[in-house]
Amino acid sequence: MEETKPLINKAMPDDARGWVDHQLCDGEKLLFAVVGDLSLFEKYDTATLLVTSRRTVVVDKNHDNGLFSAAFSDIESVTVKRMYGNARMNFKLKDGTEKTVFRYTYAVADLCDVAAAFIEAVGKGENVDEQMEIVGAAYEKKMRVCPKCGRTLLRPGAECIKCQSKGKIVSKLLKYVKPQFPLLLTALLMSVASTALALLPPSLTQRLVDRVLPNTGTPLDQRMHSLLVIVLILLCSYVAGSLLNGFRGYMLRIAGDRIVRYLRNDVYEKAQHLPMKFYDKTSTGSVINRISGDTNTLQAFMLRISQEIVVQAFLLVGIIIIMFIKDWKLSLLALCPVPIVVLGAKYFSRKIAPFYRRIWKRWAAVSSVLTDTIPCVRVVKSFAGEQRATEKFKKYNDEWYKVDTSSAKITNAFPAAVNFIVVCGSLLIWGVGGSWTIKESGGLTPGLLVAFLSYVSMFYGPVNFFAYLSDSYQGALASAERVLDILDAEPEPDFGKGNCPDKIEGKIEFRNVNFSFDRAKKTLSDINLTIEPGDIVGIVGTTGSGKSTMINLLMRFYDNYEGEILLDGTNIKDIDMTYYRSKIGYVQQEPMMFSDTIFNNIAYGVPDAHVEQVINAADIANAHDFIILQPDGYDSMLGERGVGLSGGERQRISIARAVLKNPSILVFDEATASVDSETENQIQEAIERLISGRTTLMIAHRLSTLRKANKIVVVDKGRIIECGTHDELMALKGKFYRLIQIQSMSEQVSKQKAEENFE
Amino acid sequence: MAERLYINADEARITYRGFAHVDLEMFDGRKFEDLEPRRLFPLSGLTKYITLLDHDMKEVALIRDLAAILPESRQAIEKCLDEYYMIPKITEIIDRKEKNGLLKYTVMTNYGERSFDIRNRHSDIKNLYDGRVLFRDSDDNRYEIPDITKLDRKSWLKINIDL
Repeated sequence: MEETKPLINKAMPDDARGWVDHQLCDGEKLLFAVVGDLSLFEKYDTATLLVTSRRTVVVDKNHDNGLFSAAFSDIESVTVKRMYGNARMNFKLKDGTEKTVFRYTYAVADLCDVAAAFIEAVGKGENVDEQMEIVGAAYEKKMRVCPKCGRTLLRPGAECIKCQSKGKIVSKLLKYVKPQFPLLLTALLMSVASTALALLPPSLTQRLVDRVLPNTGTPLDQRMHSLLVIVLILLCSYVAGSLLNGFRGYMLRIAGDRIVRYLRNDVYEKAQHLPMKFYDKTSTGSVINRISGDTNTLQAFMLRISQEIVVQAFLLVGIIIIMFIKDWKLSLLALCPVPIVVLGAKYFSRKIAPFYRRIWKRWAAVSSVLTDTIPCVRVVKSFAGEQRATEKFKKYNDEWYKVDTSSAKITNAFPAAVNFIVVCGSLLIWGVGGSWTIKESGGLTPGLLVAFLSYVSMFYGPVNFFAYLSDSYQGALASAERVLDILDAEPEPDFGKGNCPDKIEGKIEFRNVNFSFDRAKKTLSDINLTIEPGDIVGIVGTTGSGKSTMINLLMRFYDNYEGEILLDGTNIKDIDMTYYRSKIGYVQQEPMMFSDTIFNNIAYGVPDAHVEQVINAADIANAHDFIILQPDGYDSMLGERGVGLSGGERQRISIARAVLKNPSILVFDEATASVDSETENQIQEAIERLISGRTTLMIAHRLSTLRKANKIVVVDKGRIIECGTHDELMALKGKFYRLIQIQSMSEQVSKQKAEENFE
Repeated sequence: MAERLYINADEARITYRGFAHVDLEMFDGRKFEDLEPRRLFPLSGLTKYITLLDHDMKEVALIRDLAAILPESRQAIEKCLDEYYMIPKITEIIDRKEKNGLLKYTVMTNYGERSFDIRNRHSDIKNLYDGRVLFRDSDDNRYEIPDITKLDRKSWLKINIDL
């Protein structure tokens, strides 16, 4: 055996390290170790499973002398019992004793699975090097997780998509703002110009009040002329300001729409390429909400930060300079409330953040009820569930209302407090500035006071803006988090991109495939199956046995399984995913229809198909006859779930869809499970026409539909328990035989009942 | 289909057999050995509808309500459920950090101190209506705050951000 470093999942605790350093015998070496996180009895603690070249040792304080040791030759079997949130490894020794030796949480469950298999295999005399390869692969897989966030990496040592790109949210979103830079820059310059114009009127007002309106000895004509000039300048500045603001608004609207368009496109595109496991954990309502609502929030925020911040900052600095030039003492007074507003804003932003998240969470729940019940309105009505659906909606809507109204208190209390402080600031200027004017001290004229007050009211505009910025920032941050959750999510891995074999023969092999959805329970165990090109394979088993999961893996809806699935000798993960899926015709039990015409529904997989190809496909699928009876024929519009068509008709359209793809492999997932006998015959007829010469996998509940199958695979509790021809399995008198008997009995009973009812 | 055997009250004696397993003796004389109790509703009904499974994972009997059966039987079942379901109860939130979109919690539980990561605050932290909060960490382990209103204020302020 090669000299290699032992495999360890994390730093070994001192007690285990001590054992390795001092207790290993001559010639014995440590192969691998699993550092666990739970003691045998209840508490979190470190315990270590050490597997050496001769024996298994568990270092756990709860064992006698803190140690359990068993030579491979003494071990009869090793079993792993996965429970809820924890698991245990049990040893059965050759002397008959059984013992739980190692207990751990799911954090190391995968490693313990392979460790158990290794110990048992080596105990039975299997080759250690070969077994170590499997262990090594499991450790490598474990190391293929980002140490920061725990997400699976594309390859060991690769940079994590999430952590690598999750820099500052704003800089990430700037990608969408940059292309609009020319428009935004123009709008920004216009903003600056209009802001500069806005600073002009108070100075002119000062001149009016101090020099033009009072009788200071200047001739009347000259005063009237000055009045006219000032009014005209004011008019021009207002007109120019309005025009600039109008154009600026238009440009911002265009830029904003473009930003949200590109952002939405990207999020939608990404959502299409997300793996099924993302949708297993995220409701479609929440994804829709992110694409529609959150992108809008982000658009508003991006415009705000790219425009308003600059303008408001410019205004703020401009006003402060002018105020200090006009009167520095009053300026200092005007700045007094600012620290209170800034500190308040900081406090406010901390308070408001959880509310935004909660509001969104509640709103996502409301959306989920909508997306679940409205498309399924037929089911709701057929089960008289209108009242229940309404109550559920009301409940979630009420929850949203409660959270939204409770946040309304804080969101409104803060602006009111800020306004009050601002008013206090103005009153301070009135009081102090007014007394200086009356006393004619400090050179403060009535005009200067009026102008100063105008600037003060303008000054609190940007102060308010920056105070409220945290509010919109928090809202946008919550939205950005959810949008980036999609944008940064790992897409379906496509390692074989560009690898499109010239021809697909259709040989499928499952090699030692193991799969679990949630690590709590293995859905598929040790699946080994070879399907030759042109084979028609029936997969049977009770509900939940793992039939559909096998198909899900073959379709590459889930890629995180152990073992290999090969197509014509090539691992399916190494074939271009789009090409691979285009070679498989998949007919589901519940066919989904898109809101489009019958024609486009059939041509979904081949959008550029010729009309006659589509008609031919429909003909092969026994669909043409009923389509032509529709008033609008192939142009008949179908609803979201194929409203207007029976289950059998929808199924035949989905078969036509598969026919048109001309796939090398066909997969039928209980295609005739929910139709009557007559329709079943029609569908069966269509299927038989379709499958000739193609590798076909058929999951069937009604075993009679498998009469054409030349191989039948019986799956039970995630394992293949029988495999052979119909006759072989009947002769075996196993599970398949029993299923056939049960089904023929129940068919007889149904037939009898039908006859009784008929009589 | 065989009729389901319900255990409603004192018609059965259940005794602890060994790790997460019990023996069942009905008062009509029927005996079943080495059964594994499991919750039918591990999240929403901790003490109701406990199924007893045999070696082949087939249901032998169903306890409607733990509160209604004999106290000794209840203790045996509770011991098994405690062994099977490891849902540490969080008593204090020691630390909460947010980094790279990932929540890192350090908590004190009835099993001791523990640090874990939450990948998605929206789907992995569930706030139930009776004050219970359930967590699922990135390894699929579960944790529970039995009643959030009973947490100390510092802990509450930390967790409140994610609810």
